[in-house]
Amino acid sequence: MSEEAVKSASEEATASKEDLILELKGITKIFPGVKALNNVHFQLRRGECHALMGENGAGKSTFIKVITGVHAAEEGHMYLNGKEVHFKGPKDALEAGIAAVYQHPTIYPTLSVTENIFMGHEFVKNGLIQWNVMNREAQKLLDRLDADFKTSDEMGTLSVAQQQMVEIAKALSTNAKIIILDEPTAALTANESEKLYKIVDQLIASGVSVIFISHRMEDMYRLATRVTVLRDSQYIGTYDVDKITNADLIKAMVGREIKDMYPKPQVEIGEEVFRVEHMSRTGYFEDVSLNVHKGEIVGLTGLVGAGRTETMESVCGITKPREGRVFVDGKEVHIKNPSDSMAAGIVLLPEDRTKEGLIMDWGLGDNVTLPIQDEIAKGPFKVKDVQKEREIAKQYLEEVDTKALTIFDPGSSLSGGNQQKVVVAKALCQKNMKVLIMDEPTKGVDVGAKAEIYGIMGDLAKKGYGILMISSEMPEILGMSDRIYTMCKGRITGCLDVHEASQEKLLELSMEHGTGETGAKEAAE
Amino acid sequence: MEEKKSLWKRITGSREASLVLILVVMLILVECIQYFGGNGHFLSPTNIGQIFRNNALTMLMALGMLCVLLTAGIDISITSTLAFAGMIVGMLQKNDVCHNTFLLFLIAALIGLACGFLNGLIIAKGHIAPIIVTMGFMYIWRGLAYVVSGNQWASGADVAQFAEFGKDGSAGPYIILIAAYVIFFIVLKWTTYGRRIYAVGSNMEAASVSGINVDKILVSVYMIMGLLAGLSGALSVSIYASAQPNMQYGKEMDVIAACVIGGVSMNGGRGSVVGTFLGALFYAVLAKALPLVGLDSIWQNLIKGIVVLAVVLINTLTQRAMDRAALERREM
Amino acid sequence: MAGKSGRTISIEPKKGKFFRWETGLIFIFIAVMIFGTIVSPSFNIKSVFMNMPKYLAEMFMMYAMGYILIIAEIDISVGAIVCLAATMACFANNAGLPFGLQVIICIGIGTLCGILNGAILTHFTELPSMIVTLGTQIIFRGIAEVSMGSGGSISLTDTKAYAALGGSIGIVPIAFILIIVTALIFIFVLSKTTAGRKLYAIGSNHTTALYSGIKVQKVRMICFVLIGTMAGVCALFLLATSFGANTTTGQGFEMDVISMCVFGGIATTGGKGNLVGATIAGFTIVLLKIVLSLLNVSGQTILVVIGILLIVSVLIPSINQALTNKKKKAALAKA
Repeated sequence: MSEEAVKSASEEATASKEDLILELKGITKIFPGVKALNNVHFQLRRGECHALMGENGAGKSTFIKVITGVHAAEEGHMYLNGKEVHFKGPKDALEAGIAAVYQHPTIYPTLSVTENIFMGHEFVKNGLIQWNVMNREAQKLLDRLDADFKTSDEMGTLSVAQQQMVEIAKALSTNAKIIILDEPTAALTANESEKLYKIVDQLIASGVSVIFISHRMEDMYRLATRVTVLRDSQYIGTYDVDKITNADLIKAMVGREIKDMYPKPQVEIGEEVFRVEHMSRTGYFEDVSLNVHKGEIVGLTGLVGAGRTETMESVCGITKPREGRVFVDGKEVHIKNPSDSMAAGIVLLPEDRTKEGLIMDWGLGDNVTLPIQDEIAKGPFKVKDVQKEREIAKQYLEEVDTKALTIFDPGSSLSGGNQQKVVVAKALCQKNMKVLIMDEPTKGVDVGAKAEIYGIMGDLAKKGYGILMISSEMPEILGMSDRIYTMCKGRITGCLDVHEASQEKLLELSMEHGTGETGAKEAAE
Repeated sequence: MEEKKSLWKRITGSREASLVLILVVMLILVECIQYFGGNGHFLSPTNIGQIFRNNALTMLMALGMLCVLLTAGIDISITSTLAFAGMIVGMLQKNDVCHNTFLLFLIAALIGLACGFLNGLIIAKGHIAPIIVTMGFMYIWRGLAYVVSGNQWASGADVAQFAEFGKDGSAGPYIILIAAYVIFFIVLKWTTYGRRIYAVGSNMEAASVSGINVDKILVSVYMIMGLLAGLSGALSVSIYASAQPNMQYGKEMDVIAACVIGGVSMNGGRGSVVGTFLGALFYAVLAKALPLVGLDSIWQNLIKGIVVLAVVLINTLTQRAMDRAALERREM
Repeated sequence: MAGKSGRTISIEPKKGKFFRWETGLIFIFIAVMIFGTIVSPSFNIKSVFMNMPKYLAEMFMMYAMGYILIIAEIDISVGAIVCLAATMACFANNAGLPFGLQVIICIGIGTLCGILNGAILTHFTELPSMIVTLGTQIIFRGIAEVSMGSGGSISLTDTKAYAALGGSIGIVPIAFILIIVTALIFIFVLSKTTAGRKLYAIGSNHTTALYSGIKVQKVRMICFVLIGTMAGVCALFLLATSFGANTTTGQGFEMDVISMCVFGGIATTGGKGNLVGATIAGFTIVLLKIVLSLLNVSGQTILVVIGILLIVSVLIPSINQALTNKKKKAALAKA
């Protein structure tokens, strides 16, 4: 820590002579129950693209919201063009020339594009809004960004990439001098990302300073000149992008070197336990076929929006597919709703733990036994057997090593990683489970807990469960899977053995329709 | 052919246009039945005047309800506010405290404004579901209306002078209606305040992040609603020449239904003054036309209910069809 | 079997909260009783029981409404269902059908209305229950109005059986006994069985409930049918004291039962509250009505009291929450 402190101190000395447009010192932000930011520093030079990096929950988004005046910091100072400023609300920040494009575009879905762009700073004459002028100006901005939609389109009907473009147009319309982009590429395809890079280049060329938050290293290398790292709500350091190595940067972000991240055990792969044939749902995915064997971990990767989650939701009866068949242990099963799916032995761990996996204000114990409560219950009236439920919950929560004091702790009191463990425990207590479908099992989970979850996956494979893991993270797909399917635009584009797979190959298959050769080979087996 | 199709699509695609179409068809039908049945014109000035006069209260309050629904809220206390304000206006006259028509309208409006302010304040600052808060006040104002009345009515003789304003043939109610609709049309479409209401209902979090004072907007829409409900209280006394504590009981649902027919979404952010007007008008014409086509007035509610439900269900089905079409077009 | 780290997790439940909503309600209930004894000389157990049947009918629906609110839905058509069911029972009575058949018709009509609500809501899951029941409310009352004809009211011709239903065993009204039985059943199901836990799960987070294998749509259907049935029962007991129906029968009942539930601590946002609280709240309001009627106070004045109780009871948790947040923040800022 001291070494880094020295580094940042020396940087501060040199920076004071530079042309800083924005500087934040000693920012501390407290939420009920947590310190979201603890003494964070940040400097932005005029006309630079500055990346802000850190793990999920490191405090990046909160920090951005302090800059834009959404949150008021408890401690610290903020200087704009050398003068100290206090923003009472987002409006102050906007007027000072700071605009943010958030990760989830903060759009008004029922309103038009024009209105979304000019909300808060409309053209007003004699108290009346000048719709004609606004539509014209909006069209100019869209032209500048090379947009492929109309100003009169309803915002809710646009794609995420298009909505982001509107948000950028909105930032431009305020004549912002500082534009903050919060994870802008997370939901974009490669082509769309490239388009975004060009827009950012254009912004920088026109004298705008950009703060860029991203998970993706390639974003940072492509765009940023400097990078500031946050970890556990604390400031770690600011580095020049061309002077820091990838490994050092990761070390700064996670706080330690990660060895043996993927404890993949060698497991004898058994018979086929799960097979999906020709699954289709109009507009989401077409003709998806795949299979999983006992003891096998199968990866399913692809870009966001490729239809991976949607396919598995249809398999488990959450949405209705147009056609397709599902087999467990070679026998066809008919799944109309999730309880049918569980009865057949297929358990889905959903992507969004807080919204789909857990009831956040319930105790952990009740969450774990929720799917099996009817089996535990006594008598014809299904009277709850509370004691038995508690014991079962305790057993499985301990088996996955949840960091909790009692089974009555609410789900909201746990970190992302521990929440994921509770969701796993919830699946494990279902005795007839044969196949476990894990959708982005380590999303929003910090590095330490990630390794633990991989450990659990390995143990499950050893016990003979079939595991299907949906993931966008190439390292974890390559590190944990035996076999990998890729999906693109709703279709399976390839199936590779882990030994023949590489990051490049998977990416290529995820980007465009594969030849189907590898997939065909698998199907022939 | 191509041209025609797009015109047809535009009409069916826009709620307002399709409502106008249905209204026109309905009016022509009723007119024909009426005229060829030898009963004179349906669309006579008297009839049209009555349609508006009989439904002035619903039409007026629908504007306020539009604002409330736009913020994804609801206000079911309005007819209680109406009764409370109306009852006070009635009693002031009965006890010969005040007979000035303008002053009485002002008093009613201010009472309504205060009632609405309380609603808005608790909803915005207490973060409590609007339906619960307004339900509480629905009881309170209705109860107070009874308390104020002291189990008495203000009869036609008591409010004779005041009733001049709203009597059959007087321009009073029409002026209020026209003024209100013009003002709301301009405010909601062409002022920043109006658009803020849409913004809050469309995405409250985004509105707050982009610096809109959400609480202020919320309080203000309930105040507008209250103001209109108070005004309607006075108007009701004037039109029906009496004030009773149970007046307009249960009619808040009519107001909401008129908005729903007019395409106002209960999820917020969607709806227009024109749509609300057409919805309320549709409701009003239906009420007037049913007896003429041989359906007794007791059939009114049943038909109204079926229309409301049908509109809601047809809406959903169209939306589904549109979503499905969009999915099928999607590149795979 | 402890985990790898040897960490164990306790299953000892924490001690209950010092103050519970129900405790407060009991105090209010007692306060109303004391108030009644002081202000009215005729207030005693006998006079209370004698006046009770008139006010009890609504409470039958309250329990089902509790379920509806707990799964984060709402049903504002129940008042109209009561009207329709009562009207049809009157027709059956006037046609000279046996009493048993009248009961079946009354409750059956209620159930049918519930089935209609439920069917629409489970087939059009994107629609909020508020808007659907708003539509069906107008329809149900409309059907009642059409069948009553231009008179706008209908009376029982043979009131004997209904009078018996509105009567007492000793001094205890039959309605009261049945309310207690209903309460026990509904409370048992909600708090002791897995079905009750499913209701809470759906109300807390219906997506998680669905992913956990709960048949959400089936449960919603059952709840809406149940409240229809209970509205039928309510109509039956209403007839037992009013011996007839008119176009305003049951008007405002939906709001009355919702306010009883909310006053009893059930959140309209779903997943919170229980029927014990609602029961105490319901009886408190019934008692209050009786006291005021003994005092010859206009029945409408009680509306003000109910309204204030309702607003205060929803404001307290909200203020409480704001205060704890403030405290937490202050404590952390210090640390």
